[in-house]
Amino acid sequence: MAGMSPSERRLQKELMSLVKEPPPGVSVDPDIAERNLLHWIIDIRGAAGTLYEGERFQLQFKFSNKYPFDSPEVTFVGQNIPVHPHVYSNGHICLSILTDDWSPALSVQSVCLSIMSMLSSCKEKQRPPDNAFYVKTCNKNPKKTKWWYHDDSV
Amino acid sequence: MKVRIKNWTGVASWRWIANDDNCGICRMAFDGCCPDCKLPGDDCPLVWGQCSHCFHMHCIVKWLQSQTVNQQCPMCRQEWKFNNK
Repeated sequence: MAGMSPSERRLQKELMSLVKEPPPGVSVDPDIAERNLLHWIIDIRGAAGTLYEGERFQLQFKFSNKYPFDSPEVTFVGQNIPVHPHVYSNGHICLSILTDDWSPALSVQSVCLSIMSMLSSCKEKQRPPDNAFYVKTCNKNPKKTKWWYHDDSV
Repeated sequence: MKVRIKNWTGVASWRWIANDDNCGICRMAFDGCCPDCKLPGDDCPLVWGQCSHCFHMHCIVKWLQSQTVNQQCPMCRQEWKFNNK
């Protein structure tokens, strides 16, 4: 752990515990994350009994050197972006803990679980109503978006 | 019999009395120090909030300084107030 920045030290600990005891449906390739601790790709599987059962998704986490004081930038990447009222087709996620409600006591694991639970509680697969406009006009970094968190039901 | 002690060496151990083992912000052990410090002990103390949550002082101060609007406990989101007991 010598020579690591405080953010990297915390991320190293988180990575080890996520590899050792991953929550159901979550897996991380330690080689990819260890090559660059500030950039992780996490595989998640849609939970059984939900609209996403059997589907696989990839989440990208990018951390700044201010982590955990600064929230990670979390987006869906890859071939399969879940069709969900809070997930834009470019992978951006409207979830308050990723910006306004971030806390340094949260972790990669708790963010993954929040996203899984957001998917699991979905009743109808659809894109956000403003998807087309948002995807055309947004910044590449979802943290630059001024999100409106108006729907707590899903 | 009379014993005369020529010299002695005292050994003590210490630990913080906290309700958890690790700081919820940096995830380092409370008995260690925050990632910005080299040595545990009085130079890297623990502090408590009125909500009863405990952190390395350096960690919670860094968090509070990064929050411009609401200063909340990272654990329970109650308004953070130092507990000066």
